[in-house]
Amino acid sequence: MNPFLENQLLQTRRQFFGDTGIRLGGIAMASLMGAPRISAAPSEVHPALPGLPHFASKAKAVIYLHMNGGPSQLDTWDYKPNLLKEYQKSLPKEFLGDRITTMTSGQAKFPVAPSRFKFSQHGECGRWVSELLPHTAKIVDDIAVVKTVHTNAINHDPACTFVMTGSEVPGKPSMGSWISYGLGAETSDLPAFVALTPNFPNGSNAQALFSRMWGPGFLPGRHSGVVLRSGNDPVLYLENPPGVNRDDRRAMLDSLGELNQRGFEKFGDPDIQTRISQYEMSYRMQASVPELTDFKKESKATLDLYGEDVHRAGSFTSSALLARRLVERGVRMVQIMHRGWDSHGNLPKEMGNQCKDTDQACAALLTDLKQRGMLDETLIIWGGEFGRTVYSQGTLTETRYGRDHHPRNFCMWMAGGGIKGGVTLGETDEYSYNPVRDSVHINEINATVMHCLGIDHERFTLKYQGLDQRLTGVEPMKVLKNILA
Amino acid sequence: MNFPHKLLFLILASQACAKSTLTFNKDIRPILSDKCFACHGFDEETREAKLRLDTPEGAFKKKKRGKPAIVPGKPDESESWLRIITKEEDDVMPPPDSHKQLTSEEKEMIRQWIAEGAEYQRHWAFEAPVKGEIPGVEGTVIDRFVEAGLEKEGVGFSPEADRATLIRRVSFALTGLPPSIEEVETYLDDQSANAYEKMVKKYLASDRYGEEMARHWLDAARYGDTHGMHLDNERQMWAYRDWVIESFNKNLPYNEFTIQQLAGDLMPNPTQGQMVATGFNRCNVTTGEGGSIAKEFVFRYAVDRASTTAQVWLGLTAACAVCHDHKYDPITSKDFYSLYAFFNSNADPAMDGNKLLTQPVIKVKSPDYDEKMKAFSEREKVLAKKMTEIAKSLTYKDPAEKNPRPPKAVQEQVWFDDAFPKGAKVGSSGHPLTLVDFPVKSGKKSLKRGGPAMAQDYYQAGAAPLFVPPNAKFFFNVYLDPKDPPEEVMIQFHTSGWSHRALWGADVIDFGKKGTTERYRAGDLPRKGEWVRLEVPGEKMGLSSGAKVVGFAFTVHGGTAYFDHFGVEGVTDPASDPNLSLMAWRNSRKGKDTPEAKGKLRGWLKEGPEKARKPEELAQIRSYYLENVCHSTRDAFTSVNEDLEKIRKEKAAFDASIPSTFVFKDLAKPRESFVMIRGEYDKPGEKVEPNTPLVLPPLKKGGARANRLDLAKWLVAPENPLTARVAVNRFWQQVFGVGLVKTSHDFGTQGELPSHPELLDYLALRFQEKGWDVKALMQELVMSRTFRQQSRAASPRWVQDPTNRKLARGPRIRLAAEQLRDQALFVGGLIDLKMGGKGVSPYQPPNIWEPVAFGGSNTRYYKQGKGSDLYRRSVYTFFKRTAPHPAMTNFDAPAREQTCLGRETSNTPLQALQLLNDVQHYEAARGLATRMMNASPESAARIDFAFKSVLSRAPLSDEVAIVSKLYQRQLARYQKTPGDAKKAIGFGESKAPDDLDVSQLAAWTLVANLILNMDEAIVRN
Repeated sequence: MNPFLENQLLQTRRQFFGDTGIRLGGIAMASLMGAPRISAAPSEVHPALPGLPHFASKAKAVIYLHMNGGPSQLDTWDYKPNLLKEYQKSLPKEFLGDRITTMTSGQAKFPVAPSRFKFSQHGECGRWVSELLPHTAKIVDDIAVVKTVHTNAINHDPACTFVMTGSEVPGKPSMGSWISYGLGAETSDLPAFVALTPNFPNGSNAQALFSRMWGPGFLPGRHSGVVLRSGNDPVLYLENPPGVNRDDRRAMLDSLGELNQRGFEKFGDPDIQTRISQYEMSYRMQASVPELTDFKKESKATLDLYGEDVHRAGSFTSSALLARRLVERGVRMVQIMHRGWDSHGNLPKEMGNQCKDTDQACAALLTDLKQRGMLDETLIIWGGEFGRTVYSQGTLTETRYGRDHHPRNFCMWMAGGGIKGGVTLGETDEYSYNPVRDSVHINEINATVMHCLGIDHERFTLKYQGLDQRLTGVEPMKVLKNILA
Repeated sequence: MNFPHKLLFLILASQACAKSTLTFNKDIRPILSDKCFACHGFDEETREAKLRLDTPEGAFKKKKRGKPAIVPGKPDESESWLRIITKEEDDVMPPPDSHKQLTSEEKEMIRQWIAEGAEYQRHWAFEAPVKGEIPGVEGTVIDRFVEAGLEKEGVGFSPEADRATLIRRVSFALTGLPPSIEEVETYLDDQSANAYEKMVKKYLASDRYGEEMARHWLDAARYGDTHGMHLDNERQMWAYRDWVIESFNKNLPYNEFTIQQLAGDLMPNPTQGQMVATGFNRCNVTTGEGGSIAKEFVFRYAVDRASTTAQVWLGLTAACAVCHDHKYDPITSKDFYSLYAFFNSNADPAMDGNKLLTQPVIKVKSPDYDEKMKAFSEREKVLAKKMTEIAKSLTYKDPAEKNPRPPKAVQEQVWFDDAFPKGAKVGSSGHPLTLVDFPVKSGKKSLKRGGPAMAQDYYQAGAAPLFVPPNAKFFFNVYLDPKDPPEEVMIQFHTSGWSHRALWGADVIDFGKKGTTERYRAGDLPRKGEWVRLEVPGEKMGLSSGAKVVGFAFTVHGGTAYFDHFGVEGVTDPASDPNLSLMAWRNSRKGKDTPEAKGKLRGWLKEGPEKARKPEELAQIRSYYLENVCHSTRDAFTSVNEDLEKIRKEKAAFDASIPSTFVFKDLAKPRESFVMIRGEYDKPGEKVEPNTPLVLPPLKKGGARANRLDLAKWLVAPENPLTARVAVNRFWQQVFGVGLVKTSHDFGTQGELPSHPELLDYLALRFQEKGWDVKALMQELVMSRTFRQQSRAASPRWVQDPTNRKLARGPRIRLAAEQLRDQALFVGGLIDLKMGGKGVSPYQPPNIWEPVAFGGSNTRYYKQGKGSDLYRRSVYTFFKRTAPHPAMTNFDAPAREQTCLGRETSNTPLQALQLLNDVQHYEAARGLATRMMNASPESAARIDFAFKSVLSRAPLSDEVAIVSKLYQRQLARYQKTPGDAKKAIGFGESKAPDDLDVSQLAAWTLVANLILNMDEAIVRN
């Protein structure tokens, strides 16, 4: 076996047949044992599609901070000082429209609930930020806020599916899977796409997550997000069985490699070579993943930046630091899904807890990346699946109110690779009930993410069920030029 | 291993260009479909410049100005050709912003086709299959077609695989399990000419066959054990899964299989099986999310059902037409919504209610169900008759009607003696409810009550209420256990709440407010070790005359007491006491609810005695009163009544143990259906009637309005060009890994062309001729020489034809998720082949369900099964759709949220980790190691056994050497560290036998783990 020739042959096969099923073929045995890299170099395990990226990219990696449940835009970024005067008054009919969830559509009144939180201006850009986000307030000059994102879905399940797969109907690939499929990753020791599901505060109203939010849809299964779990077993089945140590496994894999090599010589099936390399990668992951999740080598300054919570396994904060470490090691996309933002009842209390659980970590992640010179190459996205209504659901007092789902406009922010800091896109009416300028579809956010990664979302398609499928759906979607650096 | 790939390029290029005559369907349509039809195709809304190129009428149409798009025979006069070759950026086609470009080969083919006359053909799959001439002379028909294809390529069949490979291949293809060593030996030793056929037939007859066939179908049906959205709660419809398995095992013809699933409920006098089959259309994901808009989901369910049906049976991706006319296939939005109209009158609700059973459902009765229920009913009837006889025999006369009116009298009513009042739902704290024979004050039993601190027996529902008489004095007898005397005893009464108590002793039971009727201290505790009668006036507890008591309690603290003969003494006026006078009772119920009375009786009582009643109604009221309320008569009924209660309970318990399953039904009045503009649920357009796509043969209606039965029959009618092709293609895909049409889910113009169109047509026609006999088809496929070829090939062949579409070698396919797990369980000797029933929960790592599940979901916490539940076949694993088992998803099983007609086969490090380290697999390796050690004392023979178990073949000598080396290393290591050896064989719930040497078994376990991880073990060769 001449590894070079073999590799060439498999490349040839790829060029001529454009086979999307198994693309892992071209791995020369000799290159399997390399040390982990932190630099950017194409990986043999996660190759990019030929021709991608379409153009020079700003961002090399994505960290998606998904605030699951729908954070209130009114209590965070969409400052409406005049609403104090409207307290308890009914939202005027002409604003209301007819698509309201059946949780509040039967309410006799739609009384306006102004945010009970104080807002103040921050940064050179002078952005108004709620007192709930004191840490994020310090980095406002690095982030672009889109105030007018809208989605078609009004309930959690379809809305989560929409925000992560570009479609309300289950079955489409998630954003991370598309990115893994298109760009691969720059590591041979870790998956291309990692999903994290941290803990969330007690007493918050948490919604379900769905594996389709990081699932591969109709893309090959290996593009599925790999869920890194908190605790001793961050990757499923990572640990050897009891009584089997690393040397035993090495010896066993050596024997397996020999047997499989004979299998390859007998059958000639290139998939056998792939299998040999995947078994070797699994062995490397047994070392690389524990190293990845071990924060001992992080400096005190870094740990302090994230705060005390970084030591709590499974916290959002430790997930944020883990995200940086993943990206640093060449992982292409990290998706953190923080639950508990569905505040129908006691919003002020729940939002307080939710923000406390995440605010410092979000700011620390951005600062940490910046200090390491990684922010320019890492795109961060923050947001939920929809926003919340200006009118109260349930009891309304000055300090207690709830808000129902609101798909017409909600806030997301983006920062880092390819994004201009300090800018705001979109404006909403005085009730934060409808966009009045620059309404942005959720798939335009997705198109922009692709753009930052050097991908033309319209050309990045895969034919399935008779359609050129893409992340951003069949309707035309534009890239948000105004927030690009 | 050296191949000149320039040569390869030449071969490929020449294939494209050397054709003398091009055909539209094979050569031209794929190009136009991909590059042109989006703007110049079927969809009127997106059509540019009013030009369509998918029909000759459109393409050849004369223009007022300029040239026609195509002039047959004259490329240079054809506008389309000129636009393709122009250098003008504004004119060139396809336009640059479409991101579609024609290659130079494609351009040349278009030119040539126009020059040759631009002959159009209808899309192949919409034309009826044709019985073509069978090429060649020898071999099965399949082989003759395949061989003809190979000859064109200048190659031939590969040699037949060896027998060991063949039996493993057949066994996996037909049963999803490897053959046993005995089966391999029988087959190897069988010298008869039809040995292979015998082997095939044996597997076709096995019950395992249905399980393997079903797993493919369940992907198509999107079957799951949860609703799939939001809470993702459990739903009960596994009877459908079992029906699918049984149908394949019974070899239900595919046309029947189709009709029953789509319209079993509309068949004349449907059997239970035919009803269960309709579960197919209830498998879709549903929501119970609060706030959802019902109309939206009714719409979505019908869309899912229509597009699933179109895709599974017709291979058409009709879902595109939800929003607009299909860009490529001639399926209009109207066609789609006409199909949707068949499913839009569904009786199931928009909100699933997060319930186990969302209507409509049926009970899945065992064959003896009716008989058993009848037996219960008959026993019930006998007793009920007895009750009537007793009622008749009683000479009750209402004291209110007696003349003269009976005098007032001090009268005792007993509320407890030997038992609580009939029907009382008694709860206990402390030890369970205990009635003892000693000590007893009255009757046969007394109530023993004790516990560490506060302990009690109580009820507050289930029994007829008791009425407090005037001047009531409550009494009971108590016996304090001399060895364990309580500090306090208490009686409590429930009227509208637990707010009437009397206590004797320490007053430490912390119920009610001290010094009120809620907590009246009536005195000190009596003497221990003897029966003492205690009394307390009702008024001290706030129980005045006429109060309705619905429950009472005996309570103790810090010891044990016996209670007996409890009741109330009152100055009773029989004529006005509801406990004695029917009229007084009826008066007391007037205008009030009497929930303990069932059915119409409840209403009659509320209406009061003034309302005129029929004699039989009055008789019913009287019977009820005498049986349940009247203190002077009800004791006469007690024993028969108890028997009756017991039977009713048994009957209800038996009935509740019968599972139910989701079925599909229509509303009595069909919903109207409309074309939904842009696929939005609230934008109805043109009204439509149920109908099939117009491009296909017309539907025959059974009645005025077409229904699902008409649709199902239309699908399997001989003139339908698609159903049989789509079906045989998927069975082919099961057997060979890739369908003759590679895009098995898409037979439309965007799908790939069949690699062997004539063979596909032959198989489709033959399938119908032979009565849609699936087993016969499967047999024909695996009997073919094509299937029996060896799967090895030199590298260039793998490069030329990576997915083996030419069929120049045998299939080589990675085992599916279920097969991998089942194989390990099978060779590990752990498998439990029990069939059917509720989904089971095998090993699953912690935190698969929990981190994603909604707080209120009943599938939030994974509860692992026990014993044989860990070792059932994977088709019986409980399927939670928002977090499927990693053993499934890791190996490309779909989440079953929508139909899936073919899985990917990926190859990832996470798969390696699972097969190496998962307790399910390592325990199975230990099982195999145990069997190896039991098979022989010799190492070589043990290795031989392992290879034969897993790979169905003996090891080669160099393989023995590699394996032995690992064994020797491991043995030495485990002998040095026996603690590790013990751990290694202790992984999993089943126990390792204790008569085997621990270090040896641990070492062989790693060896078994090695063999089970060989590529050859993971693949069907």
